[in-house]
Amino acid sequence: MLFLSERKEVVMSREDLLNIVPLFILTSAAILILFSIAIKRNHKVIYVITALSLLADFIFLVTVDTPAKGIIEPLFIFDGFGKFNFGLILITALALTMLSYAYFEQREERKEEYYILLILATLGACTLVISKHFVSLFLGLEILSVSLYSMIAYLRKRKRSDEAGIKYLIMAAFSSAFMLFGMALIYYTTGSMEFGAIASYLAPFSKLPLLMIAGLGFLLIGIGFKLGVVPFHMWIADVYEGAPLPVTSFIATVSKGGIVILLVRFFLQINGHQYTSLVVIFSVVAIASMFIGNLLALQQQNIKRILAYSSISHMGYILVAFLAGGSLGIEAVAFYLVAYFITTVGAFGILTTLSDSQRDAELFDDVRGLFWRRPWTAAIFSAMLLSLAGVPLTAGFVGEFYIVAAGVQGNMWLLVIILVINSAIGLFYYIRIISIMSEKQEAIDRPEVTLKPSVYFISGITIAALVIALFWVGIFPDRLMTLIRFLIFS
Amino acid sequence: MAIIFYMASAIAVIATVMVITRHNLVHALLYLVVSFLAVAIVFYVLGAPFIAVLEIIIYAGAIVVLLIFVIMMLNLRQESVAQEKQWFSGKIIIGPLILASILLVEMLYILTSGEPAGLSENMIEAKAVGMSLYGPYVLGVELSGILLMSGIVGAYHLGRQKKKVTHRFLEKKEE
Repeated sequence: MLFLSERKEVVMSREDLLNIVPLFILTSAAILILFSIAIKRNHKVIYVITALSLLADFIFLVTVDTPAKGIIEPLFIFDGFGKFNFGLILITALALTMLSYAYFEQREERKEEYYILLILATLGACTLVISKHFVSLFLGLEILSVSLYSMIAYLRKRKRSDEAGIKYLIMAAFSSAFMLFGMALIYYTTGSMEFGAIASYLAPFSKLPLLMIAGLGFLLIGIGFKLGVVPFHMWIADVYEGAPLPVTSFIATVSKGGIVILLVRFFLQINGHQYTSLVVIFSVVAIASMFIGNLLALQQQNIKRILAYSSISHMGYILVAFLAGGSLGIEAVAFYLVAYFITTVGAFGILTTLSDSQRDAELFDDVRGLFWRRPWTAAIFSAMLLSLAGVPLTAGFVGEFYIVAAGVQGNMWLLVIILVINSAIGLFYYIRIISIMSEKQEAIDRPEVTLKPSVYFISGITIAALVIALFWVGIFPDRLMTLIRFLIFS
Repeated sequence: MAIIFYMASAIAVIATVMVITRHNLVHALLYLVVSFLAVAIVFYVLGAPFIAVLEIIIYAGAIVVLLIFVIMMLNLRQESVAQEKQWFSGKIIIGPLILASILLVEMLYILTSGEPAGLSENMIEAKAVGMSLYGPYVLGVELSGILLMSGIVGAYHLGRQKKKVTHRFLEKKEE
């Protein structure tokens, strides 16, 4: 059991180093920002450092040629699936950084620490997607959550920020405790914390050992909390509402996406689809998430809360693809994540640009008559909402189509039918927002935007890029599909 | 050794239950220290002396710091001595004292009996812990450093300024 017995030298090859450089770049960026703050606080400089380092990291990941599959024992695995999602997370974080600048420039609080936390949280999520060991899993998860605690409560002068932060803190700490206990039970059963070794221990069993079921159950509580699927969804609406808008979209995309990828990796490795008990648990969670998320969203009067509840049902959709399994299922998960990221960042991005220095644009009144005031903004917001609803020509439609295809191939008829019903329910509340936007309204006094237009220029470009991506993925999905296929099966 | 393990575990459970049922923060902290000491003995008996020592240095040590903070934050001047007397009066202190003295007896027994220390065959020395931390798990150690950094940056930002309104349900009471 001891590592001592065979004195193992840790040798990192050149390929290993190249593989791990993206993590180093993120860490160095965080430290660089720390020093930069120590010298002089300047929002713009720090924003540029953040954006450039995320961009450089992405370019490095895409361009530098590394072997298709690198493993750094015992913690990390760099395969095509991991790298694809690593890149996805980086580019999403970049888009969020772009949108954050205008948002935080309006506020009087100190803005600089936000970027450190953003980079560290991104690093945590990236660690998750490449981890193949409970140690790296837990550390990545904690880096993500600890950064998120303070990001959620970041705007201290706002009313709900502390409440949201504390709620997230307590729930996340509690779910981490469950998760650790689950890991301990799994370690006790299998004698290893590495996914591969757990899988090879489980391989001869056709039914899971009892302690293993308990361990996996505890593990799933932790994961379910982070995903915000139904029995563990209580925190979502309040945290979404209380957090600053860019942070809300970070939780919705990067944080959840990282966990989804981790779940897929772990589940595939232990070959979870052959155990009926696990499949039943996930099916129940998926069905409950789809229904409860959508039905609760119908009753909300606050756009942030609507998007919060709709995210619950979207996680349910992803679970359908995940349950379908097989290569099509994994492709569908990856594709849906891309579509969901584009759409969610876009929708929250529009709300971000509508917010003023006092509060976020989150009520129906903030968007009432938007078509008459700012037609372009309203049109883009509608496009994002329609994509969330899964209307053809948008990325969301192709994503949902992919999931349905995967579900049909996996003979998950019940889940597929429920998914279709829920898309119909979802359409209703998305269209309600659009109809409110198109209500004609007499001009009301609104505080004029006080920032220089150049600040909004960056947000505008980001949102334009997101819109182009939305329709490009929606109309020509084959390029993205080939890319995903190539990366996953390389 | 098995009996020592079970006694220490029982003390850990009892002390922790007492922690979460106390109304006074300081009294809860007293039980928390006892709970950590008991867990340290559990670790020792299970064959991890290094972790046992860490448990005492880090956790029990942190509790002492926490106690000091409580006294500092309450900012008691004249009445602080009286307050402290009340906190650590005989009736309150007797529970933690009994539990702690059982632990002391256990420890003396371990030290003097000369029995092989652990329940398990191989004791994991500090060297082994270091070897695996700075061997295969070195990236994990670096990640923990990053974890600490995010915690510190967040705490610095959140702790920097005071906020008046704490919670929407508490607003009315405060006014």
